[in-house]
Amino acid sequence: MNKREHDGKRLFLPVRAVKDWLAGDVFVKLTPLLWGAGYIRRRQFIKGFLAILFECVVVLFSISYGFPNIAKFGTLGTVKRATVYNPATLKNEVNQYDNSFLILLFGLVGLLVLAVAVVILMRIVTEARELQQKDEQGVHINTFREDIRDLFNQKFHITLLSLPSLGIIVFTIIPLIFMILVAFTNYDQQHMAPTELFTWVGLDNFKRLFNNSLSETFGYSFGKVLGWTLVWAFFATFTCYFGGIALSLMINNKRTRVKKLWRTLFVICIAVPQFVSLLLVRNFFADTGIVNTFCSNAGITDFLKSIGLVGQYLDHIPFLTEAGWAKFMIIIINFWIGVPYLMLIATGVLMNIPTEYYESAKIDGANALQTFNRITMPFMLSVTGPYLITSFIANINNFNVIYLLTQDVYFTMDTKLAASNAKDIDLLVTWLYRLTNDYYNYKMASVIGILVFVVCAVFTLVAFNYTFRKGREGRFQ
Amino acid sequence: MKKSKAPVDPALIVKKRHVNPRLLTGDIIRHLILALLAAIWLVPIVWLIATSFSAYEGRNILRFFPESWTLSNYARLFSDTDSVSNFPAWFSNTFIVACFTCVISTLFVLMVAYAMSCMRFRGRRALMNTGVLLGLFPGFLTMICIYYILKELSLTDTHAGLILVYSASSGLGYLIAKGFFDTISRSMIDAAKLDGASEAEVFWKVILPLSKPIIVYTVISAFLMPWMDFIFSNIIIKSRLSGDWTVAVGLYNMLHKSSVNTYFSRFCAGGVLVSIPISVLFVIMQKFYVESVTGGSVKG
Amino acid sequence: MKKLAAILMALMLVLSLCACSASTTDTTTTETATEPETTEATTETTEIPDISLTLWGSELTEFQDALRVMADSFIAEYADEANITIEIGAQSESTAKDTILTDISAAADVFYYADDQTGELVNAGALQPVENADAIAEANGGYEAGGVQAASVGGTLYAYPAMGGNGYFLYYNKEYVTAEQAGSWAGLLEAANAAGKQVTMQLNSGWYLYGFFKGAGFSCSLADDGASTLCDWNTTGGTDVVQAILDITADSGFINLDDAAFVTGVQEGTIIAGVNGSWNAGTIQTAWGDNYATAKLPTYTLNGTEVQMGSFDGYKLVGVNAYSENVGWAMRLAEWLTSEDNQIYLYEATNGSAVPSNVNAAASESVQSNPVVAALATQSQYASAQSLSVGGNYWTPTETLGNILANGNPDGTDLQQLLDETVAGIEAAVG
Repeated sequence: MNKREHDGKRLFLPVRAVKDWLAGDVFVKLTPLLWGAGYIRRRQFIKGFLAILFECVVVLFSISYGFPNIAKFGTLGTVKRATVYNPATLKNEVNQYDNSFLILLFGLVGLLVLAVAVVILMRIVTEARELQQKDEQGVHINTFREDIRDLFNQKFHITLLSLPSLGIIVFTIIPLIFMILVAFTNYDQQHMAPTELFTWVGLDNFKRLFNNSLSETFGYSFGKVLGWTLVWAFFATFTCYFGGIALSLMINNKRTRVKKLWRTLFVICIAVPQFVSLLLVRNFFADTGIVNTFCSNAGITDFLKSIGLVGQYLDHIPFLTEAGWAKFMIIIINFWIGVPYLMLIATGVLMNIPTEYYESAKIDGANALQTFNRITMPFMLSVTGPYLITSFIANINNFNVIYLLTQDVYFTMDTKLAASNAKDIDLLVTWLYRLTNDYYNYKMASVIGILVFVVCAVFTLVAFNYTFRKGREGRFQ
Repeated sequence: MKKSKAPVDPALIVKKRHVNPRLLTGDIIRHLILALLAAIWLVPIVWLIATSFSAYEGRNILRFFPESWTLSNYARLFSDTDSVSNFPAWFSNTFIVACFTCVISTLFVLMVAYAMSCMRFRGRRALMNTGVLLGLFPGFLTMICIYYILKELSLTDTHAGLILVYSASSGLGYLIAKGFFDTISRSMIDAAKLDGASEAEVFWKVILPLSKPIIVYTVISAFLMPWMDFIFSNIIIKSRLSGDWTVAVGLYNMLHKSSVNTYFSRFCAGGVLVSIPISVLFVIMQKFYVESVTGGSVKG
Repeated sequence: MKKLAAILMALMLVLSLCACSASTTDTTTTETATEPETTEATTETTEIPDISLTLWGSELTEFQDALRVMADSFIAEYADEANITIEIGAQSESTAKDTILTDISAAADVFYYADDQTGELVNAGALQPVENADAIAEANGGYEAGGVQAASVGGTLYAYPAMGGNGYFLYYNKEYVTAEQAGSWAGLLEAANAAGKQVTMQLNSGWYLYGFFKGAGFSCSLADDGASTLCDWNTTGGTDVVQAILDITADSGFINLDDAAFVTGVQEGTIIAGVNGSWNAGTIQTAWGDNYATAKLPTYTLNGTEVQMGSFDGYKLVGVNAYSENVGWAMRLAEWLTSEDNQIYLYEATNGSAVPSNVNAAASESVQSNPVVAALATQSQYASAQSLSVGGNYWTPTETLGNILANGNPDGTDLQQLLDETVAGIEAAVG
């Protein structure tokens, strides 16, 4: 006679809670007021005490932080900060002002705390009703020690996941929701808390993305940056992938000597932290840097000028300062960094290909190219397929390479991009970072962040559908 | 030539002594290409090391190798601490943060991976999908909010704040560990449970001892993160005293346009010093990573 | 049952007590407002307060050392009024705004910054208006003086002028360039080509690019909202200026370099003349030795006539953080640091890099004989202040325009269109 299950499925929690509350005895009915009532009646004193403690904490928090800020959530504050300097005390006297940022943050946290508290309360009510039924039926009710033991057995997942989840909620989920909300406000350099107030503007920021004029260039910039981001992710992923495979094939060849030495030499390049190696390479390829000196002395610059790859006005190769060259160099330098990494992974996979395949291919008279096409590549693709997808999505967000190589040296020549603080070689994330860090344009940065999410989500879905289908067709045979 | 105890076919012996000239040229070409590639790959690193021994403080434009060599850059990194360069303090700051981060991160990752892989509970799929969703947002979006959260907790400019930033959300990176746990045979777990072990006991006594490769991998990658990150440390550490920075922030600041011409060779020296332990750890980590990833995918 | 009911009632009582006490705590988060010090003043003055201040200044070693000396003298001076501790951090003046604006309340109490940031700092509420503005203004040449104007917004003085001479002028190497050649770009390029070296200026920066247009009579000014810019570069004659710049960059003797690359070039001997500011004077003087020379900016050829280049005046100011807990003491420190004596001390401690803005200090013998000061003095008649001329959206579009010109307009865009697009970006509403 389990009213809680309906056709074998459990009812939705709020519905269950209300039903249980209505059907419960006086202590169950008392529970929403005093959360430990149900437990205490059934002699689960410690649990009851903990429940009441939790209730106190929630109430305290809501009254001191939650409700005041939730009340102002609609306007995000109305009282601007004003100070009067008092020469007698040598301090500023400040009024009771509203800090829009903190109102948004604490309002959000307050709402979340309330939501969580309501869910927990519903759980407590249903448990109280369960306990009541157990009591009436004479079923054994857990002591505290038995509950604890459960937490290390059937309910171990709760123990395991509680701390990591807390960390994720506080440091990822809350900030994320906060920044998504910011996309609907006008929080930027002209509206910086605590001095200024900012408020909701609805979808205005998103509308700016569809504007395209000389002064409102966000739409134009977004299109260009998105385009380059996708092109870059494609090239970065696949050049490194095939480069890594080629390199590992060469090193793994049976007749290659001192394999470990070769591998170590290549690994040294990636072991140097990226912010050292990339900043170094930026200086290496600077307009007046050492590579350019070498190229001018060797006549390479003049040669490139004669075939038109270098502008006539320049007497150096603009490796990282001109749009076309910079894009090319970025892909090359990423190749430099990425190939050793892929080589290691490819080596690991190659070593696991059963040698029988190769031997039988040899007996059948296959040459090197056929072996590669029919055996090596399919095996490689099936094992590292998922890695390829995650790598593509990771490259969409590959901040380090672009930022470290171009930040202080690359200036755009596109006035429309410049008007929205973007550069031709920017990825969406580097543009986002620049808007946040240098121009305090948090609202547009949030809009871009949301769009990055949409782009990545689309690709993830497409990719997973594709591999899912392929997986069903049968694996490497 | 290996000596074989088994009877050898005379025909084979003859073949082995006959060296195929085409194979030999193929070998030579391949080795040459590898040498060339390795040389190209290492050119910037060689420049890094060479410049770190340079007596000239700024950036060398005209010459690849410095005119005069000296060890003073390394010495000065440790002896001269001023408002721009304070390597000993950076090293110790980063080391402390890295140690705590790797302990907390590893614990979190293993806990989440075990729960998702070896246990079945309501909401497991939903949680995994949420994890994937969260990973699709760019990380820098939330910088400013995390800064203010830490500020409310009075943890900005502290080691604890950095440790929290690096390790609090580490539970989201459980996929590789989960992949590894997936390859551990269920029969072992079931046998242990039949013997009366609780889930917690299975975790500590059965799974963890078997997971050495993935534990080493997780520990090392968590340890390496604070050394390589300069974005989040820049946000959290607002102090302008050089003794409060981490290695990444400090070295990055050395290349600021007003100091690059006096600190460039010391930057290179610092870069070399930081790279050595990181490379060693990285090589070790790669061994375990390949072992755990490919082991998992081939079997599974 | 009765016992149970009693326990439950007691618990409910505790709960309601909790709720009551919570509602009396502070509702909104506010800054800790005044703690009246009047009570302390009335008690016996054996009880002097502990004040701790943070000070940010340039990271260069001489500067940091000099700051420490000046801070210690401040502490000694006021030792009988308060126990002061001053912590000095390294923050380059050119990027002070970036560090401050991320979190103003975590920034230093007193900081040095470059005058182009005044507008943005005031808009963000980071600067405390100077208390005794009249005295400060007077010491630095009156309300019309460049330094005071660079520190003011809307007539209110927001910072203490500390250093003048942050404008730019011409450095040249007497070994390769004669004084006459240094008078015009044509002469400079001639010298460069003869010596097989190069002369430089950073064109992809709105700060330097301004000089060409100002010299030809164009101008920028602040719009009424105090944040946006009005600009007339795309009116008649603008394209001639652009063409003149293109003529200069076309010459192989010219190269576009940024600040750090300029210094590197000087040190390596590849650069024999360049437009730069006083902050590199020491390094350049060491590199060129006796051949070190400075002059006002050269003239450039516009439609066949020689036109003198204009420039921006630059100042370094000391700002007081409006969010500081000890604003009064911070203002006293700022005033101390920018007093006449301390400006002279700083000038000498940094080997002439920190040119004083205080009128008396600047009039002293050692300052007047400095070639940098002489060049700046000659150039100043053609210079204007940034804070009066340009707003927030000026910088990125001009950077782009300069970059296009430095690369010789590779796309062959029509010059008028180039100017129109740039001006549209400059005049776009801020925010």
